[in-house]
Amino acid sequence: MAHREPPPPGTTNATAWLFLSPWIATFALFGLYPFAFSLWASFTDYSPVRAGGSRFVGLENYGRALVDPAFWSALGNTAVFVVGTIPFTTALALGLAVAVQPAFRGRTLFRVGFFMPSVVSVVVLSLIFKGLYATDGAINGLLAALGLPQPAWLNDPRTALPAIMVMDVWAASGYYMIILLAGLEAIPRELYDAARIEGASAWACFTRITLPLLRPTLLFVLVVNTVRSLQIFAEVFVMTRGGPLRSTNTVVYYLYEQAFYRFDLGYASAVAYLLFVVTLGLAFVQMRTLRTTPEAAR
Amino acid sequence: MIGRRAAGRAALLLAAVFAATASCARAGHEIVFWQFWPAEVVTPILERFEREHPGTRVRMEQLTWQSGLEKITAALASGNVPDLCELGSTWMPRMLDSGQLADWSAGVADLRPELRGWELCTIGDAVYGIPWVMGTRALFYNKTLFARAGLDSTRPPETWEELRAAAAAVHRLGGGVSGYGVQSGERYVLFKKFMPFAWGNGGRILADDLRSAVFDSPENRAALEFYVGLRSVGVMERQDVLDRAFKEGKIGLQVSGAWLFKSIPRDAPGLRYGVALVPRPERERGTHASFAGGEVLVSFAGSKQRQAALELARFLVRPENALALAASAKSVQPAGVGIDTAAYYREHPDEALMVRQFETAVPTPNHPAWVDMEAAIEDEIEQALFDRKTAAEAVAAAQQRLAELVGKR
Repeated sequence: MAHREPPPPGTTNATAWLFLSPWIATFALFGLYPFAFSLWASFTDYSPVRAGGSRFVGLENYGRALVDPAFWSALGNTAVFVVGTIPFTTALALGLAVAVQPAFRGRTLFRVGFFMPSVVSVVVLSLIFKGLYATDGAINGLLAALGLPQPAWLNDPRTALPAIMVMDVWAASGYYMIILLAGLEAIPRELYDAARIEGASAWACFTRITLPLLRPTLLFVLVVNTVRSLQIFAEVFVMTRGGPLRSTNTVVYYLYEQAFYRFDLGYASAVAYLLFVVTLGLAFVQMRTLRTTPEAAR
Repeated sequence: MIGRRAAGRAALLLAAVFAATASCARAGHEIVFWQFWPAEVVTPILERFEREHPGTRVRMEQLTWQSGLEKITAALASGNVPDLCELGSTWMPRMLDSGQLADWSAGVADLRPELRGWELCTIGDAVYGIPWVMGTRALFYNKTLFARAGLDSTRPPETWEELRAAAAAVHRLGGGVSGYGVQSGERYVLFKKFMPFAWGNGGRILADDLRSAVFDSPENRAALEFYVGLRSVGVMERQDVLDRAFKEGKIGLQVSGAWLFKSIPRDAPGLRYGVALVPRPERERGTHASFAGGEVLVSFAGSKQRQAALELARFLVRPENALALAASAKSVQPAGVGIDTAAYYREHPDEALMVRQFETAVPTPNHPAWVDMEAAIEDEIEQALFDRKTAAEAVAAAQQRLAELVGKR
């Protein structure tokens, strides 16, 4: 290898900073600044439509949220959404990934097909499902043909949230399938070959080799999906606007209403930070319980 | 070292770009106008204004109903507000309370007898905008279904009892046909469908001085009982689903808006339908009330071209210009008094009915906490619609929430 002169001290750093600066500037302007601003706003009664400055109110906004039944009901709906979708999304994504991993004719078609919903905008998907779920929509048409009762899906407080959850599982699985597929591809083939020589069944291969070695990928899928699900908004905004009877009112939809219908940006920021704390806590717990232990890595 | 100098140069360049864009925005006599209507409808009107006012340019930006309010909120937060802005009546109470709107009292005094809807932009004697176009809700009914149900399709129901009877007759046709479209499950819409019956029955929301809630009244209770009762001769759904079902000929009657004049010819050109005033409680009692909404033109205290903006607003509300917008959009009618005698409305009697409906329509109270009040009323109406509360309980609960909100700013 040719020997190279070390660059003069200081240059590398400066050049590196220069090349990084577009990203740093964008991140500072559109990432850090709003982050810091909303943190400040959460301690004030900031409202953009009020003339004059905003008042520092300390923890008042946080206290208000914690005693507001609407906030708790939104948090409850969000929890139901997260708990009710993530196991299904993960299981479906894993099943799909295992199904489309081996080489077979038309494999690419299936992979692309399952991934397709992730490419389509959530708003478009929501509009399509709104039509499918309508009282006289395609789903009820099918049920009617089978002689089954036809619920008012999005217009019934009992079925509205589950209906959105089913759509989310369907729409999100393909994306996580691709990530899990990458994890599957990374598992050395030799392990399966050796196991088969030892006479291991397909199920044993799956539980003893695939699952343990897929753990880091599964953890990533779980954490990313939890963070995304906690922020569920567009589906609710397009399909139900939080109704009926606030049964689909999620935390982000609630804070959106506080910010852009009531102009209560200080309070909305506090709600956002409460959600941030919940998200951080959940991600921490997931990492602690699922992270690869030294024994498992061995 | 080289890197640092380059970074410095880049920063200078960036600053120069910012300075250039900033000065561009200030150059010339330019009115920045934010509004919600399609550009092809508004641009010709703005071009006429520019021809009438040489040297003045209008830079129009079209907002969307979905994100327009967010954009206006952001503009107010940053202090970078447009000169003239269209605001929906729902947002007006809070905007009026904000102290951020420009006072136009002196500039619009002569217009006051010529336009309706000043309640939307007035506090006391001070006027903070000009009503541009108005929107209300009326009764739409399917003439084919009326005929099939043995009803006279030239005689729409005028009273609650007739409405219920007509809905029941259509509902009995069966085969996927519903008598009445009961609005539910959607915020910011349900209110406009229920209150026409409450107002028509003499019910009110707040006292005239806006200091106390008067929602818990026999009038409002009876109206809610009547509205909830329509479920048995109809279907409960969201606005867009009901509108689609109406166009497909599956709903006999529903209260809806003038946007149907645009979408029925497009989606269901063969539909035989009629439009009527919202029925009143009895032939000799109550009124054909409805919801009075509208679009108001405002300028902000922080706007740079407030005088020019007022001139543009006065131009836009001229009968011929407001009519050009209304005739194309169809979902709204000009705020001008007596506009229904215009040739256009003589040729379009269904649309003219909306103008008449507006005469007995009721504006919402200009209370700063109005958005919360509307939500409180909607929540409780929904409780009754989903059988979680009786009409009396729901009205009492709404009263309690309104009483709490009335003292808040």
